Amino acid sequence: MAADELITAVIVDDHAAISAGVRFWCSEAVPPIDLIDAGDRLADVWTGPGAVADVVIFDLELVPRRPDFGELRRLVDSGRRVIVYSQHTDDATAIKCVDLGALAYLTKREGPEHLVPAIRAAARGEPYTPPSLSGALIADDHPGRPRLSQRETEVLRAWFVSSSKELVAAKLNITVKTVDTYIARVRVKYANVGRAARTKSELVGRALDDGLITLAELNQTVTPM
Amino acid sequence: MPAMSDSVEEVTGAQLRHGLRIATLLVAMATVFGAGLANVLRYMDIYPSPLTQLTAFAALGAVLAGEATLLVRGRSWSRLRGPAIAIVLSASALSYVTLPEGRTSTGVDWIFGAANWVGIVVLLDRPLRTAASFLLAHELTALLHLLLLDDPSRADLARFATGSVSVFGFPLCLAVVAAGLRGLSAAAADSRREIEQVRVAETVAAESHRRRQQRFAELSSTTIPLLEGLADGSLRPEDPVVQRRCAIEAARMRRLFAEADTVANPLLHELRHCIDVADRKGVVVELDARGQWPTPPVAVRRDLTEAVLIVLATAASRARVTVMGSADLVSVSVVADCGGMNMPSPATPGVRVEALNNDDTVWVEARWQRTS
Repeated sequence: MAADELITAVIVDDHAAISAGVRFWCSEAVPPIDLIDAGDRLADVWTGPGAVADVVIFDLELVPRRPDFGELRRLVDSGRRVIVYSQHTDDATAIKCVDLGALAYLTKREGPEHLVPAIRAAARGEPYTPPSLSGALIADDHPGRPRLSQRETEVLRAWFVSSSKELVAAKLNITVKTVDTYIARVRVKYANVGRAARTKSELVGRALDDGLITLAELNQTVTPM
Repeated sequence: MPAMSDSVEEVTGAQLRHGLRIATLLVAMATVFGAGLANVLRYMDIYPSPLTQLTAFAALGAVLAGEATLLVRGRSWSRLRGPAIAIVLSASALSYVTLPEGRTSTGVDWIFGAANWVGIVVLLDRPLRTAASFLLAHELTALLHLLLLDDPSRADLARFATGSVSVFGFPLCLAVVAAGLRGLSAAAADSRREIEQVRVAETVAAESHRRRQQRFAELSSTTIPLLEGLADGSLRPEDPVVQRRCAIEAARMRRLFAEADTVANPLLHELRHCIDVADRKGVVVELDARGQWPTPPVAVRRDLTEAVLIVLATAASRARVTVMGSADLVSVSVVADCGGMNMPSPATPGVRVEALNNDDTVWVEARWQRTS
């Protein structure tokens, strides 16, 4: 998609106030983002204008305490670019969404600052890692998790703690662009392990093409423990 | 009787009660198998139904055997007590029904002086009124027999009355002694418990006094001068520096109070209290924690929270507090929009504080590396 083309996003969330807030952020964004409100009707994501939206903003818990991982998987499997927008901050849920192929996992508290950048990244098929997800990635201690380099861990950690890429860059004496590169590399490593999904293989393929990461680095993924 | 406490009074009381139980059983056995059996055998041909008398005798014997077994095993009658008493009273009734006329409370009436002892054996560890009720029931059985089936003469009544003194009185004396012993050991246990409670209360009071003094000492170096300055007018409340000092001291006091709480995660708990003070000032504070960590000692927790407390007191509008922990490293960070400041150096070894100033943002991280 060309950079100046209008991005469309569809939001599934049962709280009208949340959708209204997101609509406001999208209209204030420069350039604005066209938002389709599906309310709590999942069908509107699959049919009508929602079916062709570039990005799906998905409330994981339309039914309280019943995260709908199944729907997330169906969306990802049909090639949709999904941002999970959840009020939950627990690490396991965030990691699971990433593993299923969501391009971003945002807590609602991070919405004002991170939702619009996440939508833009997702529209390009790129992952977006807000601080809470960064925290979840460092705290992740599953046996199948990818092996992160010391620098990657430091960057993730500093990003989670400070919530400011300028501060991370200042603290670690690197540029903001390098900070982004390290975070992106982590997401590529995560996309390379676990369940296969189209969004994930696109991500890995592009990272290899761009030289963001080498095949050798990708292959020594799993931490020996 | 379970051997519960190892206190001397308790053991002594239990031993005394055990001894009394053995003595009562021996008396009952002597009465039943000695005098009772002798009389049954001697008057065998007088009874209209000797078999019934023998059955009653066997019933009493069985109850005594039961008591002997329980005594050896160190058990009490518990649920079997009711049935045992029913057996004794039935045996007594059975014996009286087949007693020849005009023989109440004579040698022929062997059960008059036997069943009372057997019943006492069973009821020795029950309250006195239970034993007395049983003896009364036994007496009434005999009296009813005397009044209804016999035609008592004055001599018969006199004999019954004399016999009753020993039949009712002696076992009752024993029951009184047993009740007295129980009362004594219960009183001893009560007073010991009371003494213990008083001791515990005293220790608790002394400890909380010590802690209060310690807290006061901790506050005296920072809070007291501030309060004194405000009181004597040398510090002006409208001065931003004074306001900031007040915010810091308020947070320190909140932290101090929170330290005494029993919570699953003291570090987060104390951080929330520090944050609360900033919240009230209108600073929007996010708190996010990841990982799991062992609880650091209170001095380390103070070092870890001190930076947060000072930064939050100065923050203009927003701050982010994060805790990251693992088994051997705990890191507390605060990022806030406030100017540069001097961080106090940590008091405990193993804690490092790093500050980074970037434009209007300050980022302070306190790390505690556990040294094992």
